[in-house]
Amino acid sequence: MAMSDDLKSIEAQVEEGLKRAETMEALEALRVSMLGRKGRLTALMHTMGQIPPEERRVMGQMANTVRAKVEAGITARREELANELLERRMAADAVDVTLPGRTLSPGTQHLINQIREEIEDIFCGLGYTVEDGPYVETTYYNFTALNAPEDHPSRSARDTFYVVDNAPEGKETHVQGESDILLRTQTSGVQVHTMETHEPPIYMICPGTVFRPDTADANHLPQFTQVEGLVVDEGITFGDLKGTLDYFTREIFGKDRATRYRPHFFPFTEPSCEVDVSCGVCHGKGCRFCKNTGWLEILGCGMVDPNVFRYCGIDPEKYTGFAFGIGVERVAALRYDLPDLRMLMTGDMRFLNQF
Amino acid sequence: MRVSYEWLKDMVDVPEDPKDLVNEYIRTGTEVEGVERVGADLDHVYTAQVVSKKPHPDSDHMWLCQVSVGDKNVDENGNPVPLQIVCGAQNFNEGDHIVTAMIGAVLPGDVKIKKSKLRGVESYGMNCSERELGLGNDHDGIIILPPDAPVGMLYTDYLGSSDTVIDCEITPNRPDCLSMVGMAVETSAVLDEGTHITLPSIKEEKGPDAHDLVDVQIDDAELCPRYTARVVRNVKIGPSPEWLARRVIAAGSRPINNVVDVTNYVMYLTGQPLHAFDLGKLQKREDGKRHVVVRAARDGELLTTLDEKERTLTPDMCVITDGGETPIALAGVMGGLNSEIDETTTDVLLESATFSAGHTSRTSRNLDLMSEASIRYERQVDGAGCADVSNIAAALFEECCSAEVCPGIVDVYPAPVPAPVITMRPARVRALAGADIPDDFMVERLGRLGCKVEPAENGAYTVTAPTNRPDLTREVDLIEEVVRLWGEGDITPTLPAARNHAGGLTVDQQRIRKIGRTLRACGLSETTTYCFADANDLSKLGMSEEGRGIPVKIINPLVADQAEMRRSILPGLLRSVAYNLDHGVDAVALYEIGRVFFGHENKSQPDEPSFVCGVLSGHRDDEWCQKFEDYDFFDAKGVVEQLLSALRVTKVRFKVADPQTYGWLQPGRAAEVYGNKGELMGWVGNIHPKALKAFGVDAPVVAFELSVESLLRLAHRELPYVDVPTLPGVDVDLAIVVDESVTCEQLEQRIKSAGGKLLSDVRLFDVYRDPVRVGLGKKSMAFSLTYRSADHTLTSEEVDRAHKKLVDKVCRATGGEVRG
Repeated sequence: MAMSDDLKSIEAQVEEGLKRAETMEALEALRVSMLGRKGRLTALMHTMGQIPPEERRVMGQMANTVRAKVEAGITARREELANELLERRMAADAVDVTLPGRTLSPGTQHLINQIREEIEDIFCGLGYTVEDGPYVETTYYNFTALNAPEDHPSRSARDTFYVVDNAPEGKETHVQGESDILLRTQTSGVQVHTMETHEPPIYMICPGTVFRPDTADANHLPQFTQVEGLVVDEGITFGDLKGTLDYFTREIFGKDRATRYRPHFFPFTEPSCEVDVSCGVCHGKGCRFCKNTGWLEILGCGMVDPNVFRYCGIDPEKYTGFAFGIGVERVAALRYDLPDLRMLMTGDMRFLNQF
Repeated sequence: MRVSYEWLKDMVDVPEDPKDLVNEYIRTGTEVEGVERVGADLDHVYTAQVVSKKPHPDSDHMWLCQVSVGDKNVDENGNPVPLQIVCGAQNFNEGDHIVTAMIGAVLPGDVKIKKSKLRGVESYGMNCSERELGLGNDHDGIIILPPDAPVGMLYTDYLGSSDTVIDCEITPNRPDCLSMVGMAVETSAVLDEGTHITLPSIKEEKGPDAHDLVDVQIDDAELCPRYTARVVRNVKIGPSPEWLARRVIAAGSRPINNVVDVTNYVMYLTGQPLHAFDLGKLQKREDGKRHVVVRAARDGELLTTLDEKERTLTPDMCVITDGGETPIALAGVMGGLNSEIDETTTDVLLESATFSAGHTSRTSRNLDLMSEASIRYERQVDGAGCADVSNIAAALFEECCSAEVCPGIVDVYPAPVPAPVITMRPARVRALAGADIPDDFMVERLGRLGCKVEPAENGAYTVTAPTNRPDLTREVDLIEEVVRLWGEGDITPTLPAARNHAGGLTVDQQRIRKIGRTLRACGLSETTTYCFADANDLSKLGMSEEGRGIPVKIINPLVADQAEMRRSILPGLLRSVAYNLDHGVDAVALYEIGRVFFGHENKSQPDEPSFVCGVLSGHRDDEWCQKFEDYDFFDAKGVVEQLLSALRVTKVRFKVADPQTYGWLQPGRAAEVYGNKGELMGWVGNIHPKALKAFGVDAPVVAFELSVESLLRLAHRELPYVDVPTLPGVDVDLAIVVDESVTCEQLEQRIKSAGGKLLSDVRLFDVYRDPVRVGLGKKSMAFSLTYRSADHTLTSEEVDRAHKKLVDKVCRATGGEVRG
């Protein structure tokens, strides 16, 4: 019965050994010492042939059971040790999750162009196209075809940058310092270009840079951005103008904002009006931001004057339309309460990267 | 236009609270700049009484007074006590009722009344004259009130002179609203109330007929469509009566004397500028008459205007002359000093005329001289009203200056302008408004505005507009009136149907957005700089003008360094780099997409091509977990490559930029960027240190500038799909030592052409230089090559064979050798 004693002893030894095996190496040594080629259990199994045949079956079963137990024990312990090892490794790998993440910061889009694109997207959603025109414009497109009288004050060199005309022959100017060529003071000239080249229906906006001789200060820039809009179609009404601009205003400023239409005068529209949006700070009660009026002026607009249609060869009896002009810097200033518009032009990374 | 509420009340019924009218004005298109209480200026100014008057101990002409202001000054127990005031006036006695400004009062001219010491004696206020209160010209002494005047009452309340002035901004199309009568008519239409306007009329005409005293001749009716002259004699020049002075003040002028004040008052009342000449200062001609000749000014002619400035005139200007020779007034703008009314004036020639709006506007602009008259003339003055207005003024000369009005009015009006007659279709009004405005409303409100409205055929109306409304000549002008009076706010918003129209961004517009998106993804932030440039920008940069046209020069620049339009975006961005560095920001990565302006001889307008320009300086901000190198040539080139790849521009090549052509770039670190078919798209490189210095940039900058037109032209919507490999490839590294002169491009080309079909990818991963290990003037370039076949897994023999062939060919072609 020496074999069964040996088996029991092995079983006990393995049980003890498993408890003591703190590392994978120790466990492996235990396995080798038992199950390896020269292991005790392996050796014992090899002596099975010497067992008398009548006992062999029982001993064989017993030996197999022990072997299975030993193997299972080692496997279980190995898993345990692996888990412990993993836990330890993960514990060592823990980080301070409040440390900043690794980034490759993208650049930012200029605030004015962000708003310009936003406006473009709003009107593209309404089925508008986006048009463009020259910055260095003729007086015809900037003023005359927009029904601005020959001596309209906005034509004066105080309100318009004039540039040297390199082909002045045959043109006459009455006022010193003016010429037939200028830096466009408004994007409205693109209305005329568009009507000359497109048949109605026209639904377009023209975002772009414009220039006026205002010395740069907190509230003025000699170069700024306008978005012109023009619709020419059959049966366009003043109500359509309102519906369009109400939609725009709520998209750009928020659904809770109200609009106010104040009749005004522009040479190229009639009736004309200025549009105010309710103050976002005081919601119409009156505060410093809105100079106690409860309203903030945001754009000028009106129904296209029949004279403008005639200049562009469109029949004003058949077609009606509306036009509007939005100051993008104005929208930006209202949204962010910018203290100084000049920041828009310096390229200061600390300013640009805020938006 | 300053609208006095008290004055307006005389002509139309208005709401009790001016704010209600202001809201109606805003609703109907009269912009209100401000509402001001006249007399609010005179806070802390009270009626008072002199309790005692003693000589100042240290002065021979000042008085030390105790002045009672009733309960307006009290001691700690609340009992009234008089104020101690030092006063220099001589026209008062103890017991007189006077007007006193207490501490805290702010008098016209921003005179603040404070506690002061006059020759060692403290004074707690000031006894006031009319002039000090802005109420008239009298400064001979302080105001003495009647003995029954109360003590301690606000002086403005005592006067009953408190008034509200609504400061309206009148749009250029509404000259009628630059008058009180016009504002009354507008108000009546806005409020739907009747007017009750009464105008003064001449009581008695005396003396010789004006036609026997004055002759008027208009040389050019385009300059002056109508000229009327009246004569009044024996005027007594003096201060205006209080009511007149007060109205002139309310309207925004200072009272001068009764004659001038009357002309100003009537201008504010009617919108018709008037001018009073001293008749005695005009030459009497052989026929015993004065000759007024209105003509174009002569080139270089001189005239000293009332503001005592000598003006040099041009033939585009119009002058009133004495007999055709001496100019006596700059028509429509300002009178001449030589015919000014003064204390000795007895006889007045009163001009009521119209002058061309355009010429007046230009004259005013060319001389930089604006006046109440020119503001009105350049918006057009009603020619039909000249004579009537002249009569109103004559009546007031009679009333306020004790003048005798001569009968007759010399009136030259060669071509009277008829009132426009307009057909208005109510259906058209409703169609354009998109609102159901009833006919009755249109008829009634246009009537209130002074239009004559009569029914015509087919439901239309014939509307005769008043002559002082030059803005009403077409149906649409009437529509505007109806819509604004109806209320734009009350029209229901709708959205147009936009049938048969599609919108959205064009492919190019979308690509321009993509350019921006890609550059931002590369870490560059967008900025905008001025389109203006300094004339020296290009030469400072070392950039040749060739291919950049001639400069577009601004005639009236605001500042000298913005006198041209830019021909490159780079100078502006370099200024932004300098700005950042100067403000302690040393990591700069900026781009701008914008236009430049290339002018041409004999062409009025320049080309305006768009460019995208980027600058990089310093390095990305280091983080605790990653550190960055300073931006160098390869950062800028990488951005360009990324951008071209995003736009799917193919066959891109970078070639060494010739230092002769690219003077603003550092030689050896500058490349031209080419696209398909050898199209030059732009450049990339380090900015030349000299150019940086010229722009005050104290750090290296790498930059690029690409033509947007080229990018758009060479961009592709998509490139053909390439199968994703399904079979494994074999990676082999190859380090090859070559002369410095062999470029990466050359080596790569050799490798690719030597690699045959099996070579599927070539990637440079290291460049190594070492005089000992690699050799002087040589470099080791290490490539990772991938061999792959599309139809079978390569055997190692196949790869070895291909690789050996490749190495042999490349080494032979480049003189290189494989680095062991």
